[in-house]
Amino acid sequence: MKRYTGLIADDEPLLRERLRTHLAVLWPALELLDDARNGPEALDLFDLHRPDVVFLDIHMPGQNGIDVARQLARRAHLVFVTAYEQYAVQAFQQGAIDYVVKPIDRARLADTVERLQRQLALPLQPDAALEAMLDQLAGRLGQRMTPSLPWLQWIKASVGNSLRLIPVDQVRFLRADDKYTRVVWEEGEALIRKSIRELAEQLDPARFVQTHRSVIVNLGCVSEVVRGVNETADLHIRGSSEVLPVSRHYLYHFRQM
Amino acid sequence: MSATTPLPRPAATLLPTARQCAVVAIFTLSLSWLLHVLSGTPYLGVFGRIGFIGAALLMAYSIAGGVHPRWLGPGPARLAAVILTAPVAALITALATQRGRFLAYLGDTQTLVGHVFMVVLSIFFGVLFSLVAMRNERKARERADQLGIELEKNRLERELLDARLRMLHAQIEPHFLFNTLSNVEALVAAGSPNAGPVLRHLIAYLRAAMPRLNDADATLETELQLVRSYLELMQLRMPDRLRFTVSAPAGAGTLRFPAMALLTLVENAIRHGIDPNIDGGRIDVGGRLDDTAGKLVLWVHDTGKGMSETAQPGTGLSNLRTRLHAFYGDGARVDLHEVEPHGLRVELHFYAGGKA
Repeated sequence: MKRYTGLIADDEPLLRERLRTHLAVLWPALELLDDARNGPEALDLFDLHRPDVVFLDIHMPGQNGIDVARQLARRAHLVFVTAYEQYAVQAFQQGAIDYVVKPIDRARLADTVERLQRQLALPLQPDAALEAMLDQLAGRLGQRMTPSLPWLQWIKASVGNSLRLIPVDQVRFLRADDKYTRVVWEEGEALIRKSIRELAEQLDPARFVQTHRSVIVNLGCVSEVVRGVNETADLHIRGSSEVLPVSRHYLYHFRQM
Repeated sequence: MSATTPLPRPAATLLPTARQCAVVAIFTLSLSWLLHVLSGTPYLGVFGRIGFIGAALLMAYSIAGGVHPRWLGPGPARLAAVILTAPVAALITALATQRGRFLAYLGDTQTLVGHVFMVVLSIFFGVLFSLVAMRNERKARERADQLGIELEKNRLERELLDARLRMLHAQIEPHFLFNTLSNVEALVAAGSPNAGPVLRHLIAYLRAAMPRLNDADATLETELQLVRSYLELMQLRMPDRLRFTVSAPAGAGTLRFPAMALLTLVENAIRHGIDPNIDGGRIDVGGRLDDTAGKLVLWVHDTGKGMSETAQPGTGLSNLRTRLHAFYGDGARVDLHEVEPHGLRVELHFYAGGKA
């Protein structure tokens, strides 16, 4: 009889040990490889040893269990081991892939082992339902993470000897100052290296507008717009005594609001 | 565009308000009647001139308020416009009414005195009415500002309530709880002597993290205990990836402190800094009390993954800001700093004396 090999991938050592102990009792014939501590390690160890069975934690650094499962495709029998993934568990219950919930219930794991032993007798086949389920899972996990917006949310500026991260909401305006750009925010001001042109492209245009070759202003901080001669204007900024210019080219921002 | 964007001065404010027009009309009608009685000139003739001057001054006042030169504020500009317009308007009325007899009109001492009198009268009443109108405008602005302050106060109170309510929701993540319980189960099953202490950390954490309606009994010391329990549990789960220190600033233990404020930062450091990092990192929680000023700085310093410039700020940080302001006054700050070569340092700055 062929001797099967297995791989455990989990970032928590105590839980890896626990699963190993359970398996030693329930399936002494299974030869377990060294454990993987994260997603990339799981993939490396798989490529090196080609285990027949892989126990995958869903939440792992580097690459999560779902991503690893997609890359392994149908090259191994997979079992997800998860503490509490509400969305994931719903998907598992559709039956395309086996799963065990932590803390592990030995009777439940025994069922899984039995099923695995039966399946191992049959050749691995591509399974469209499994692929679809993994895609769906990956989508659900992706949704739960806060999506990174394309716009700049923080401005890095040297203040004293530290690098401050200033939330853009607190920024009143940005103004070119020789080779640098001056950031004025609720708590002070600082010089940064990014140019007004770069910033104009990176900041959310619904909140920040360029008003002059050398000025970007937070619309929420404008307290008054005073029309000047020749299609120009002056901006008064809440919390600042500085008056900012609006050149003719950018005056359209302040017309007909 | 956002609702807070101020409206630029629209063209409508270049025109006088209906109320201003009515005041000028009534006043010029009465003044004309008075002059008509005193001088015996026909009423319509007097009103034609006085009414025209009044309307001209009113327009000058309104327009100067909207388009004044940069170096002159709206107030002085209005007064200057009124003073300059008065003789011009009076001259126009003289030209219009006298037509061919204009030179004779200038030559006659009596009519000339009458004209000068009218100019002086126009300037006097023009300036008087301008001052009163400007004072009314200023009062209206002050009332609007006062209203704005009230609204702002209400908004802050609402935000604080929101922050407290959000804190009550789902503080203990099921994922965290079940993973920790799995670890405890593993320790117990293995007969590890660590099982007892770990369970005690979990109990301390759960007790502290149970929803509470007010922060009345929370102190910095209880908060640091909570942070320690949490970090002990996390270290149990990732012993090879997490190192940490928690040190309290001397003499600040009994300070009243908004519950969960530091824990939120430490949880963030784990979730976004250490956990996604394959090699993990370290977390240092500490503080410094500047005795002379009573200024306290607390920090959560991690050497995890760091934060991207486009990472969307979560509600945790803004919640924290709101609660710190409510607790320690507007001088309280939350600063974020980048840690070299990677990681994040969050600092809380406030005066321990409260809302001083």
